[in-house]
Amino acid sequence: MSMVSRKRTLFVALCVLCTVLFAGSAFAEEKIIKIGTLFPLTGPSAVSGQNCLNSVLAAAEVINNANPDLNIPLAEKAGLLDGYKVVIVKADHQGKPDVAKSEAERLYNQEGVFAIIGSYNSSATKPASAVAERAKKLFLCGASSSAALTERDFKYFFRHAPTDAIESKEFTDYIEYLNKEKNAGIKTIGLFYENTEFGKHAADEGKKAAKEIGLEVVADVPFNNAATNLSSEVQTLKAANPDVVFGAALGADYSLWVRTMKQVNWLPKMAVNYCTGYQNPAVQKELAGDGDYFMGGMSFSPELAQKFMPEAIKVQEKYYRPLANQEFDSDSLQEGVMLLILAQAIEKAGGLDTEKVREILATETFVSPLSLSGEVAFEPGGQNVKALSVITQMKDLKYNTIYPTKYQDSEPMYPMAPWDKR
Amino acid sequence: MTKKTTLSDRLWYLFLAAALVLPFIPGGIGNSFHGHVLTMVLLYAAMAQAWNIISGYCGQTSFGHAVFFGIGAYGAAMAVVQFNTLPWYGAPVGAVVAAVTSVLISAPCFKLKGHYFAIATFAIVEIFSRLFMIWDWVGGAIGLDYPILDDGWRNFSWSSDKNGYYLGALALFTLIFGVVRWIESHRMGYYFRAVREGQETAESLGVHSTAVKLSAMALSAGLTALCGAFFAQYNYRVDPPMVMSLDISMKFLLITILGGLGTFWGPLLGAAVLIPLQEYTRAYLSHLGSGVDLIIFGIIIILTMIKQPMGIMGIIRGVTRRTSTVPAKEGDA
Amino acid sequence: MDNFLQVLLDGVLNGLVYALVAAGLSLIWGVMDVINFAHGEFLMVGMYVSYWLGFILKIDPLFSWVAAGLFLFILGAVTYKIIIRNSLGKSGMAPLLATFGLSMVLKNFCMNRFTPNFRLLSGTILEGKTLSFGGAIISVPQLVTALFALVVLSLLYWMLKKTRLGWAIQATAMDKEAAELMGIKTENIFLLVFGIGGACVGITGGLMTSYLAVYPEVGGLFSLIAFVVVALGGFGSIPGALLAALLIGLVESFSGFYIAAVVKYVAVFAVYLAVILLRPRGLFGW
Repeated sequence: MSMVSRKRTLFVALCVLCTVLFAGSAFAEEKIIKIGTLFPLTGPSAVSGQNCLNSVLAAAEVINNANPDLNIPLAEKAGLLDGYKVVIVKADHQGKPDVAKSEAERLYNQEGVFAIIGSYNSSATKPASAVAERAKKLFLCGASSSAALTERDFKYFFRHAPTDAIESKEFTDYIEYLNKEKNAGIKTIGLFYENTEFGKHAADEGKKAAKEIGLEVVADVPFNNAATNLSSEVQTLKAANPDVVFGAALGADYSLWVRTMKQVNWLPKMAVNYCTGYQNPAVQKELAGDGDYFMGGMSFSPELAQKFMPEAIKVQEKYYRPLANQEFDSDSLQEGVMLLILAQAIEKAGGLDTEKVREILATETFVSPLSLSGEVAFEPGGQNVKALSVITQMKDLKYNTIYPTKYQDSEPMYPMAPWDKR
Repeated sequence: MTKKTTLSDRLWYLFLAAALVLPFIPGGIGNSFHGHVLTMVLLYAAMAQAWNIISGYCGQTSFGHAVFFGIGAYGAAMAVVQFNTLPWYGAPVGAVVAAVTSVLISAPCFKLKGHYFAIATFAIVEIFSRLFMIWDWVGGAIGLDYPILDDGWRNFSWSSDKNGYYLGALALFTLIFGVVRWIESHRMGYYFRAVREGQETAESLGVHSTAVKLSAMALSAGLTALCGAFFAQYNYRVDPPMVMSLDISMKFLLITILGGLGTFWGPLLGAAVLIPLQEYTRAYLSHLGSGVDLIIFGIIIILTMIKQPMGIMGIIRGVTRRTSTVPAKEGDA
Repeated sequence: MDNFLQVLLDGVLNGLVYALVAAGLSLIWGVMDVINFAHGEFLMVGMYVSYWLGFILKIDPLFSWVAAGLFLFILGAVTYKIIIRNSLGKSGMAPLLATFGLSMVLKNFCMNRFTPNFRLLSGTILEGKTLSFGGAIISVPQLVTALFALVVLSLLYWMLKKTRLGWAIQATAMDKEAAELMGIKTENIFLLVFGIGGACVGITGGLMTSYLAVYPEVGGLFSLIAFVVVALGGFGSIPGALLAALLIGLVESFSGFYIAAVVKYVAVFAVYLAVILLRPRGLFGW
């Protein structure tokens, strides 16, 4: 009996809750623009998802408050248009594509959001943005890196980050540069990646790019993520002994990988990482000196920001750090940037007309002080053609930029210093 | 016995009629979030009932149903994505493949007892999902993504509203619950119960228990696969963690056991409680901080198992037993 | 040949780690016929205990495993009192599902309190230490965990076979009613068994922090492997669990190196299935 009454209480509580929420949306008609966020707030990629959410929240603060100290479009005045505030409606997809799909529907249909920003995991972004495309609603993506996302000819989908295809090309450009300028003699490559949607995509693009410059793939090592150990994986790499390794391992797997390589006392001449554990400052801090000499593609680092995007540092200190208690990283920052771009497009459109805003997003070039290239423009399909990432190298907990030469702030240290000489 | 059957009958037809009318009432399903939730309730009730056939009625607790669910999902998705044809061809193929697979797997595993059988079915899920992760023909780790299809029954795909999906789920629900009703009232149900009571009992009653178990498994797997096909159509995407994980397998168990294992109405009751709980807590409680919805979910599961392991049906039986004068009834109905 | 020795050693070491992870589960399963689905989360909690002790009080995992073991003893006992005792015997799956609920609560509680961040202790005593053995390299943190596995398993075995407590536990496992008639307080035995099972996995988690990162989802694959180890070894058999864990570790490392890393768990689960079909009660089952 008590169970029944408890259930009934719960049911009533849920009903009341729903009513309150619906009522809330009913009389909040005035002067707000609802933007949905859809990130993995729980589940295996929750770390990144929560950072992404905080970044969007920070960007919303930039727009909503009067920030004369920030040299960012729309920062100076409070709100958008004639005093509209951005309200973020957050949703959690738990890293599951099916949840992402139904939450996207809920955000558009039930919460009435104007656009969604998300969803970090490409596997979740795919079905969620398909919902948007079918409903003719905007879907903005900061960090999902799968090149396939912008090869679908979607009209309502826009993505800021460089794809893994672009990053792979940059990695191989760098290898050619090293071979030519520094006589590096890099001939063989190994790939080490988590066997997930993300890792597989990255590795496929990596292999393609490596073939184009005539590198021989001597080791192709996918691993099961959230690993208990990586002994056989690293042993396989060691036995094949490639000159360079492209890595795609997230968080805990990344630190386990580095430590296992140290344990077997092996390193390639060079290791370059896709957006992964490498670019997470917290992971690097825990690895301490062991993370040194590794490289990775990034579109943000505190060092780069000092030089090329000072506004990002200001936003970080003013709004992001209080929320997230850490620095921006490439992934999270780009999600916030997408909100700033969207706000600019809404402002230009002069109102909340999805078609008009879409048209502006698709055709105009935006000033974006929080993007490495300083501007953003989308090609058909939604890829940001100004997307830029640089290759950095870790040394003493600092991300030194080593390529392209335009952004270089230190000489590459090549090959990596062996473990016993550190 | 006959009186009881008519009550159950009446409830059944009443429920179907109400469910069928719903999408035609304004605001019934349409594009709303509760339309999504109701569709999921029907789908998960159907899945759980399919699982109930082998695990509830036949007493073989399977943790392996994610494999059959996944095969069904891949059946539909392969038809649409790789072969550019209609899911209507893929779904039955998936169902047949799932049924055959289930027989091949179960034939040796049925000799395992208790937790050994459970862990073996666990391992099978892991093997299948990890193989699908590296099998490029079915998309591997990248998965299969649906192209944008025209709305309608032909493609079994809708975007403007959910009425189509809802009716599709209702059809699946009616099919699977109908099959179980049929089983309950025919000789098959008697065989099943005999098998559940133990192999020796069954054999002594002249029931060939292995054959009965295998056919129950095949039926259960085939029906589960149809649900998987629906799931793929609904989400425009299939990948192994999404349709072939232990999480999915656990859902079959949780729903059925919460509702009442081995009972006709149990899967529906379980789904009607768990699915809205899961969807609404995630949607409306996430502001309390990450994971709070799942903590509440976990606590409810614990409470149910501590207080009433026979699930909601157990509670209802307790109430009716106390209030009615009908003498002790048969265990299952 | 170098490779072979390295792969062999990796397999043995990883296998022993699995044995330690599985020890507590094996005991609980053997005595009570209960699968503790929250086993992986117990491991995670043990790791967090040791991590926070290391992070805040700078106590090395080499010592803080004691605290982790104690904490998990209490958690295990409380779990028994509140959850297991009330669901035991009501229906076959009730304890399993109740502990599944518990695993959700623990995992998401840690997610909520400690954030999902990966946390790795740096500068521990054992960190990065290696031994060289005939051309192969052994990681000392793993070696220490492996040695603990041998010690803990031996102690468990000794306790079960040679002490009065162990006899009482065995009597309870065989026939609860008969044990009660003989004056054994089976209730206390169960409580103790769950506590000891928890302590074992707590010790494991405590030690593992010296080389593995902690995060709320860390227990997933470990618990799955532990289930397989216990079922493969056979119902509550400590030597069985040890042997099974070694077998799993070796299969994992050899298939991972000589076939492909990505199929190593497929091989593990396939070997398990093959063995269990030949010996339906596991290697040492009765």
